[in-house]
Amino acid sequence: MEEGRAERRRRTEAPSHTQGGTRRTGVMTDVHRRFLQLLMTHGVLEEWDVRRLQKHCYRVHDRTAAVEELEDFINNINSVLESLYIEIKKGATEDDGRPVYALVNLATTSVSKMASDFAENELDLFRKALELIIDSETGFASSTNILNLVDQLKGKKMRKKEAEQVLQKFVQNKWLIEKEGEFTLHSRAILEMEQYIRETYPDAVKICNICHSLLIQGQSCETCGIRMHLPCVAKYFQSNSEPRCPHCNDYWPHEIPEIFDPEKEREASTSKANRKSLRSRQH
Amino acid sequence: MSEQSKDVCDLISAAEASNSEAHRSPGGPGEPSPSASQAATLAGPESRPSGPTDGSLASPPPQASSEEGDPKALQQATEEGRAHQAPTAAQPAPAPPAPAQLVQKAHELMWYVLVKDQKRMIIWFPDMVKDVIGSYKKWCRSILRRTSLILARVFGLHLRLTSLHTMEFSLVKALEPEELDRVALSNRMPMTGLLLMILSLIYVKGRGARESAVWNVLRILGLRPWKKHSTFGDVRKLITEEFVRQNYLKYQRVPHVEPPEYEFFWGSRASREITKMQIMEFLARVFKKDPQAWPSRYREALEEARALREADPTAYCPRSSVSED
Repeated sequence: MEEGRAERRRRTEAPSHTQGGTRRTGVMTDVHRRFLQLLMTHGVLEEWDVRRLQKHCYRVHDRTAAVEELEDFINNINSVLESLYIEIKKGATEDDGRPVYALVNLATTSVSKMASDFAENELDLFRKALELIIDSETGFASSTNILNLVDQLKGKKMRKKEAEQVLQKFVQNKWLIEKEGEFTLHSRAILEMEQYIRETYPDAVKICNICHSLLIQGQSCETCGIRMHLPCVAKYFQSNSEPRCPHCNDYWPHEIPEIFDPEKEREASTSKANRKSLRSRQH
Repeated sequence: MSEQSKDVCDLISAAEASNSEAHRSPGGPGEPSPSASQAATLAGPESRPSGPTDGSLASPPPQASSEEGDPKALQQATEEGRAHQAPTAAQPAPAPPAPAQLVQKAHELMWYVLVKDQKRMIIWFPDMVKDVIGSYKKWCRSILRRTSLILARVFGLHLRLTSLHTMEFSLVKALEPEELDRVALSNRMPMTGLLLMILSLIYVKGRGARESAVWNVLRILGLRPWKKHSTFGDVRKLITEEFVRQNYLKYQRVPHVEPPEYEFFWGSRASREITKMQIMEFLARVFKKDPQAWPSRYREALEEARALREADPTAYCPRSSVSED
């Protein structure tokens, strides 16, 4: 990593030019840089947004070039980000398998991203909710159970009414999702905090038998107890009329969900375009 | 960059002074956010022996705590070996920590700055020192330099000292062309529209807009102060607190008026990121009129546009999330 002083000064004066002879494996152009800037600005994005973003960056900086396949495009950027211990991580919403992307820091084990947004008692409330969610069977923690822990919070005393609003703040900031009075983790939180959660709650944490990632919501085998994400179930049992547990071979007792199809999704959303109601999309 | 280096020296001494002041007066009401919560992490309260609320410099974030021993160990080692070693070229004693550690600090600082910017929070130098640089204060300059380099090369962003007086940094775009990003992404649009609505009202009035006037305008969008909105949530909180915190709006009490009334002004961030011409274009779109239907305002917008063009072309154009649509 040692650079000559003169070399460093040259680079400092002309930082926007692509450096020839870069030590990195990928090549960063302005297309990639703008993409990273905007991805960082938005925090977490669904795949169709990411594709639009990518096209926008090409349009701005390199109209003539062919738009690279998204996966290669992202892998290219990630090879540059590798030495910085950050990466563009791809995940999926746990309930319907929509792909989502976020720029995450791999080096940190603490939830530093949230820390500067919230007060001490608010952070503690999140931690309590997180623990309840991880320990739960369904991946959801009821509002009542969370609010009952309000007296145990560190920092300034928080009333239940206040705690309700803090929980709504978490929902708006895409850390939690609310469904019928119960809370679970937003896909953003799972993407950004997976490492932290696995290290902090190694015994309580659930893992998907198929993809081996953190599991909050999913289906489980009633015989041997292994768990799978809903989208993982959909993919694994795709055209299987007699789904069986991959671990103990017992009959899989749950309804097999549909695989997420972005084409079908787009058709559905254009037909609803005229309706004003806001679909409550689970992320 | 050399000019910034000199500024950084001033910053370091100023930051030390202000940090010691912060100790003596805990929880000042004017602070952007209490120092305790800055350093607190979810892992913090359990793993650290000292309480997070005393705001003391002695409780660095978990990542740094493991390195606390290293600089000291290094210093001891160099002191022992000083007699036998030739002094290093640039650094006076003690010897700097391993390059790998400075590099890691630079990476931490890079992420810290990116997250602060993402949340539209102030990037305050004393916070950078307290939360990230910690015991590596002496090598702050080289850490900052390396971070700026990475941000420029990888993200196309300049980490620039925007005000030596307030010790604030900001991230500005370094890419050509300096055009506003077409934020065609739906989740940002509503906020921008709401904000532009208010900013344009203030602009057209030519002075502060009373809260009652703002609500009259927002009524057009179906927004009421007491009603929760499906997209915006608590609208009143959003415009009087969140937009104010992000410096897009100022919310001030009208002097000498009883019962108390409040009015909105443009915030410093709005003045930096949004041009008057954009406001005119927004008005034209919303009211389906020609921008010249507001002749004096249009003239002002033209003036501003000309002034911006004539200004030094290398002057930075801050990043903005305002849509062209």
